[in-house]
Amino acid sequence: MVAPDAIISVQEVSKNFRSVIAVDGASFEIGSGEIFGLLGPNGAGKTTLIRLILDLIRPDAGSIRIQGQPISETHKNRIGYLPEERGLYFRQRVMAVLEYLGTLKGVSIERVRSNARDWLRRLEIDDSRNRPVQELSKGNQQKVQFIATVVSDPDILILDEPFTGLDPINVRLLVRSIQELAAEGKTVVLSVHQMSLVESLCRRVFMINRGRQVLYGDLEDIQNRHSEPSFLVRSGADYRTCELIDRFSGHNAATTVYLKQGVEPARFLRWLLESGAEVESFQRARTPLDEIFIRVVRDSS
Amino acid sequence: MSKVWTIAKREFLVTVTRKGYLFTLFGLPLLMIGGLFAASMLSRETFRDSQANQGPAGVVDRAGVLDFRLQAATRPTGSTIPLPVPGVSLESELVAYDDLDKALADLRKGDLSAVFLLEADYLQSGDIVVYAAEKGIFAQLTRTGRRQLSALLRASLASGRLEEEAVARILTPGRFKEMQVSKQGRIQPEGNLLKRVGRFLGPFIMFFLLTISIFMSSGYLLQGIAEEKQNRVIEILLSSVTPTQLLMGKIMGLGAAGLLQVAFYVVLLVLPASLVLTLMTLSPGQILLSLMYVALGYLLFAGLMAGTGLLGNTSQESQQLSVVWTMTSMIPMFLAASLMTQPHSWLARSFSFFPLTAPVTMLLRLSTDEVPLVDVLVSTAVLILGIFLAVKGAARLFRTASLMVGKRPRLAEIYRWLREA
Repeated sequence: MVAPDAIISVQEVSKNFRSVIAVDGASFEIGSGEIFGLLGPNGAGKTTLIRLILDLIRPDAGSIRIQGQPISETHKNRIGYLPEERGLYFRQRVMAVLEYLGTLKGVSIERVRSNARDWLRRLEIDDSRNRPVQELSKGNQQKVQFIATVVSDPDILILDEPFTGLDPINVRLLVRSIQELAAEGKTVVLSVHQMSLVESLCRRVFMINRGRQVLYGDLEDIQNRHSEPSFLVRSGADYRTCELIDRFSGHNAATTVYLKQGVEPARFLRWLLESGAEVESFQRARTPLDEIFIRVVRDSS
Repeated sequence: MSKVWTIAKREFLVTVTRKGYLFTLFGLPLLMIGGLFAASMLSRETFRDSQANQGPAGVVDRAGVLDFRLQAATRPTGSTIPLPVPGVSLESELVAYDDLDKALADLRKGDLSAVFLLEADYLQSGDIVVYAAEKGIFAQLTRTGRRQLSALLRASLASGRLEEEAVARILTPGRFKEMQVSKQGRIQPEGNLLKRVGRFLGPFIMFFLLTISIFMSSGYLLQGIAEEKQNRVIEILLSSVTPTQLLMGKIMGLGAAGLLQVAFYVVLLVLPASLVLTLMTLSPGQILLSLMYVALGYLLFAGLMAGTGLLGNTSQESQQLSVVWTMTSMIPMFLAASLMTQPHSWLARSFSFFPLTAPVTMLLRLSTDEVPLVDVLVSTAVLILGIFLAVKGAARLFRTASLMVGKRPRLAEIYRWLREA
């Protein structure tokens, strides 16, 4: 499945650590300007994949290309990376850390300072700029880590668990920031365990388990594929009298109706309208992503 | 290159503002000079105290050979006695006693430091009995009064029997004037004791400080890399720069900090010592070669320490591992006395041709004497080879070991990393 304007292309990539297969023939592409979800249980191989994309480690087989080319220093300058485990100079002042990590991307100190001040304001930690990192709360340290990722204004952001240690208010603040960055045309690779965040942020996902690809593609398609033929209906109809229904659950406001094998949704809708009951809403019910996640992991294990 | 410069700048600034660095820069030389001064003062005071406690010595002359009027003439003039501490005299007054019991009573009271008894048959036997009070070992070692008694005996026995000049030469056979002949044939007075001690201590202090600067700078590199691995910054750094850029930047930055340290020592300590106090006898060539070995030694240990910093899971663990390098390189220090007295022995040359011991050995040899050109060339070549291997190995480990956490790797694993990277 090829993404339009693929900016990152991973083809048949494998990586072993002695006898452990960390990544086994992974292939996917990430389009320019999209928020791409990289999913998988702990130890599935997500971080190894990210390190392979960043050229921190080399694949045993396969190829990784950025904008159609093997990764170069120019590409590295245009990628911002937030690792799963916090990596900051804890004894140094916030601004000094941001300036150092920003200028290492080849950006002028003036631009880094200006971007840092702007992001410190946006993430509401402007008053911490001259404090040593270790004096900040874990949540604020995580915000500093995020700013260190974006301070050089990169085109590609690789965020490995960016919401760790954040309270719901700050999660919302960061989600909004990621959406704004994507709206500006930045490509975001997002590795998170909160499936609700994936559903609200990502259009496409790649899921890995035990180093192997288990899901890849458009999130809506995946959810449709993994959902039973069911509908969320708000109506006063008596479902017990319908021969097209296998089973149903829920009462009053909304009912989830499961159709018998082979029944066309249009036939059920026709029955609903002909039953004379008032129909407030009729929509396809999708299985939540976390349920698909658990099911896929269980099946592939 | 700009990234290497950015890394170098940060490493330099972070290092030169460390408390440990500032202490080494200012505190260590002061501590060494202060320590020497304090030791000198202490020994001087101890010596003086032991002298002050002694007082005159009593002499019972049953042989009737001594002429106490000659005592003043027997006191030596000039500084022919190489006293360990300037300003302290070993001279003691000799007091004549007729009665041994009275002399011993005065000894017990503490009025005398010793009592000498010359029996009636002294001329035949030459025996002199010495009575001394029970004092510390230091007082015994000074043997106060014996020298004066010997001089007085010589003067008394020769007086009237020989010519006056002959008596004077018997008392003071010669006054030595020591001259130093350099390898270039320059002849100059040896100088006083302070200068003689200084000529040994000056180069030794310089050697010590230069050696310290090698290990301090490379030690900071180890600490910095181990901390960056521990706090996971290294993963972010390597997403922006190549392992070689990171290593080069660190080596340059910390090398500059080490260079500043060396420059400080040279400008503020070595130059004044050689120009003003003339304590240093090193030639400009020796000093330049010493600086070259500091640079080569730093590069070698920087490579080794950088690699070692990546192997441990914590800064402490990496420091423990680095003991292998520091202990090996310090072997010449433990044998410093032998290497300095015999700077061209087979042992000194062997150490000079082994990369790990070459920097310290060559610094030691250069602080003592000129070193043959062939030794300089061979040791420089092995050091350059060692640096190449150490830096290349460290750069390879950056790619593999920097992201590894968990148990400490075994040798076989390290070897595999070095091959795979």
